[in-house]
Amino acid sequence: MGPQHPMTHGLWTLKVKVDGETVVDTIPDLGYIHRGVEKICEARDFTKITTYCDRLCYASANTWAHSYIYSAEDLLEVEVPARAEHIRVIAIEIQRIASHLMWLGAFCPDIGNLTAFVWCLREREMMMDLLQELGGSRLHYNFPRIGGVKRDLPIGFAMRARNKLNLFLNRVQETEQMLDESTVFLVRTQGVGYAKPEEMVNHGVTGPNVRAGGVNYDVRWAHPYSVYDELDWEVSVERPSIKGADSYDRYRVRVDEMRQSARMCLDALDKMPGGAETHYTEGDPMILTKARERAEEGKTGFHHFEDSRGESMFYLAGGGDQRGKHPYRISIRSPMFLTIPYAAKCMIGHKVADIPAIMGSFDPCIGETDR
Amino acid sequence: MEDWVVFRTWVGDLTQMIADNTVGKTSLSDYSDGLAIVMTETIMAVTVFATIMGTILALLWIERKFFARIMDRRGATMALRSLWVGEGGEHADWYDDLPFGVGKPIRWLNKLLNEKAGNASEYETVHRTKDRGYHGVWWMLPGMIQNVADGMKFMTKEWMVPAKADKFIFEVAPFIIITSTVMIFAFIPLSSNIYSANPELSLLFMMAIFGIAPFGVFFAGWSSNNKFTLLGGIRSAAQLTAYEIPLLVTVLSLAVLSGSLNIIEIAEFQITSGVWNIFLLPLGAALFMITMVAEVERIPFDMPEAEAELVEGWWTEYGGMRWGLMFASEYLRCYAACLLFAIFFLGGWEMPFGDTITGIIPNQDLILGAIGVGLIGLALGLRSEYPVLLAPIPLVFISMIPPTVWLLFKAWFMFAIFVWIRASLHRVRSDQILEFGWRWLLPLSLVNLAIAFWLRLSIWQGGTWPLLIPGLITAIALILVIILGMDEDKSAMEGRIRPYSVYTESKGPASPRSHDR
Amino acid sequence: MKIKAEYAEESARQVVEAAETRWSGTSLHAEVRHHKSGMKRPYVFINCPKNHWRSVAKWLRFEMGADHCSMITGTHWPEGPDEKKWEIVAHLMRMNVINPPERGGWTEQVIRDPAILQNDDVPMEFEISISIPDTRRPSVPSVQEVWMGADWNEKETWDLVGIEFDGHEGMRRVLQPHDTPVGYHPLQREHKIRYHDAEIMYDDMQGFGRKPADDGKVK
Repeated sequence: MGPQHPMTHGLWTLKVKVDGETVVDTIPDLGYIHRGVEKICEARDFTKITTYCDRLCYASANTWAHSYIYSAEDLLEVEVPARAEHIRVIAIEIQRIASHLMWLGAFCPDIGNLTAFVWCLREREMMMDLLQELGGSRLHYNFPRIGGVKRDLPIGFAMRARNKLNLFLNRVQETEQMLDESTVFLVRTQGVGYAKPEEMVNHGVTGPNVRAGGVNYDVRWAHPYSVYDELDWEVSVERPSIKGADSYDRYRVRVDEMRQSARMCLDALDKMPGGAETHYTEGDPMILTKARERAEEGKTGFHHFEDSRGESMFYLAGGGDQRGKHPYRISIRSPMFLTIPYAAKCMIGHKVADIPAIMGSFDPCIGETDR
Repeated sequence: MEDWVVFRTWVGDLTQMIADNTVGKTSLSDYSDGLAIVMTETIMAVTVFATIMGTILALLWIERKFFARIMDRRGATMALRSLWVGEGGEHADWYDDLPFGVGKPIRWLNKLLNEKAGNASEYETVHRTKDRGYHGVWWMLPGMIQNVADGMKFMTKEWMVPAKADKFIFEVAPFIIITSTVMIFAFIPLSSNIYSANPELSLLFMMAIFGIAPFGVFFAGWSSNNKFTLLGGIRSAAQLTAYEIPLLVTVLSLAVLSGSLNIIEIAEFQITSGVWNIFLLPLGAALFMITMVAEVERIPFDMPEAEAELVEGWWTEYGGMRWGLMFASEYLRCYAACLLFAIFFLGGWEMPFGDTITGIIPNQDLILGAIGVGLIGLALGLRSEYPVLLAPIPLVFISMIPPTVWLLFKAWFMFAIFVWIRASLHRVRSDQILEFGWRWLLPLSLVNLAIAFWLRLSIWQGGTWPLLIPGLITAIALILVIILGMDEDKSAMEGRIRPYSVYTESKGPASPRSHDR
Repeated sequence: MKIKAEYAEESARQVVEAAETRWSGTSLHAEVRHHKSGMKRPYVFINCPKNHWRSVAKWLRFEMGADHCSMITGTHWPEGPDEKKWEIVAHLMRMNVINPPERGGWTEQVIRDPAILQNDDVPMEFEISISIPDTRRPSVPSVQEVWMGADWNEKETWDLVGIEFDGHEGMRRVLQPHDTPVGYHPLQREHKIRYHDAEIMYDDMQGFGRKPADDGKVK
């Protein structure tokens, strides 16, 4: 199945061996959009790599850009002011909502419901409007900078964000109701694709997939960064069946994550130092002056980050004859790279018709897989 | 009022007159009757076919518009919600662009609904639609033009046969599908007097022809030499076989109830006995609808052409008009299913509450007066700002609508329900479909057959149904539906589906300081 | 809600102590390092000799509880010190994820309060660096059977960097096409990436007209 196939949500091949309609064996084949980002970034300035990271997972651009920025700040030893951290949290969480809406909007047509597709994209439009105000464009924003963000919250952004997030919280109940109370949806997604947390973590799968398994591990509290410890939120965990987490649990976790993200954004707007309605145009130009000298040979920086799909990490090594300008090695850890082989294993024993239900519920995004 | 559109009689008389006056006056006068019959049948077949093909555009329109409204999508026409909501005083104004002032009643309705049930800021994105650019087009094309463009596209695309496909069967399969589909309409009467063919056992014929298309589907899936289409074809064969049996048993129960295997007599039976079959056999109606949705392969029984796994399933390899014809056959079968439901269960071409309405107009003398009053009301309504005066259309106009129109309205209404089901539900998995068909629908259809037997044999006394029985049956059916529809164990459901999350409640109308904790 | 900083420090220190005790005779070196920005969280850095890697991995997994292999990265240092011409950096995490226990026909969620986690329960980041001296065939033992996540990470590292993994079954190209020439590993330093100040291979911006001097070269 693939590389051109509506189920795959990206460009990859899944070779499936079937016996009648039952799946006997699967082999995933990735690498169709391997763009060589790791190699390219060895010749790019630290500040210019952010745009590449946006395009790693195009559905969730902000989370990847921030993931890189935190690692770069670790390498360059840069401090970020508190207001910028709050703005970053807002951008990340709105992007997480948009990414999950895109996932739901792509998952439901796989199972046959065309209406949820349009409803989810309608809500996503609201989120993209907000992100457009912050970052300037709808899909790839180049929003964070080493030491802060591109610019302060626009005037009136707080009011619009609150409006839209409150409206979203109302509307997501409707979509959720349509799916949860539909026997057909439950029958399609419950009981398929069992996955147990220990096995998942051993395989390298993290994020909402593991939380669907009943464990509340989240990088945001385990290795805390930014201002997540000051905000009022809870980890979304499901209660799966004995056999493990099925597709329905993974769906529920993501819907609840959307709600928690909205809650975090509203909270961050309230707790913003300096107030959410003020707009500072001055940045601090001295933040990067000495930073580049700190990226010498032997210095490394890495940062584990909670991306919409799991735990992502950038590892930067300084040195080389372009030290201070270009990183010597940049290594990108993509959660989907390890989840797709695992999901391919989950399908064995189920029917061909369950392949989209299982694969879709793991939320594949091939941009980050192939880098 | 009687069915005044006795089309077949008119055509028969006309052709007889033509035949008598042309051939009948020559030496071949023995053949004039035969000629008249041939011409009649040809004209009737063409009429029925043209009516169906013409009105299928209504079906396409319903599908597009209703689907879009359910999905809250906006095209040239607005979503249902935006008709009465606005945002902070703004509201949609697309109807001002309609030519000839046709948009005036719509604007009036919108303002009324906005005042009565308007909502200050619920629909956030209404204002975005006002920024639609028409790129210089000042007149609005209806969205139906897109279907015409689709049809033209099908005609101009390449006809391909895959290299290793079984060429003969690959090319024969669309023939089987489309011809058997079109033949169905030969037996569907559009009224008691407008039909193409009416043999004694027309019900049997039609169900048989309905069941030929699955062969074509299976041939298409197998001959394409493609693993995906093979899967689709096999699934389709299994599904259609599984659902034809409850379908046939349900139809048999109808025949038992009406005492005849002739479709027109089944419809006439409902009219003469005074009760529509849906009130006598609600279980049968539900079964018929479900099995028909499975027969025409619509979502939720979409597995054979499941887009997500099989990329169009059994018709993946077809291109151009071959595919276009099979696509048309899907909609034609859907139309046939809706028409059959209307004929079998909704009283066919009888006007709803027909007896009541014709009872109010006892004699013909009132007709002229009623027509006059109606015309005055029409004139007043068009000229004033209150199009509500258009509303009381005199009853006589209603009762003069030809029965075929009623049949078509009922069929379109049923199709709207099909679309509603399609928009809301998901695709059921193949083995679940088969399990449902064999283990649930088949026993239920036998129960339905038993009910039909009981009704016909012990309740039916000739004449009309005693009103108690259909009333009782309908009441029981409604109660069952309500009981089955309610959540059985709400707290368990809550506990299962939302175990550990804190709902983030919206804080009401949003303002800068409204989010206070 | 977050892990308390002092508990994290304490836990990291315990891991380092255990490592120094267990591997005291070898050239393994462990220390607690801190991230240099944000909350300056501690993490465990281990400099592991190549031949001990597999046992260190097993010790980390089964005794220190590092149940998640996040990434295995390879770097080529042609101008580095002699003992570190190639480097493997493995990032592991201790997540302490267990299968939720059964309760009454269903499972019971594992909810942990971050503020009270101590010692071995504290999630911990590990960075293990393995230096490989100059060689034409750099190789490192494979830890495929310790973590399943290492499987595809090692495939990717071999595919892009060229470091082999002894004992790895089913090594194949994952990100590059299957028919990439043998021995072609793009992230090695001899494959120069050309940009801006570097040599431009093509005469025109879109790269159709190659310079004559560059004819026949692999880009």
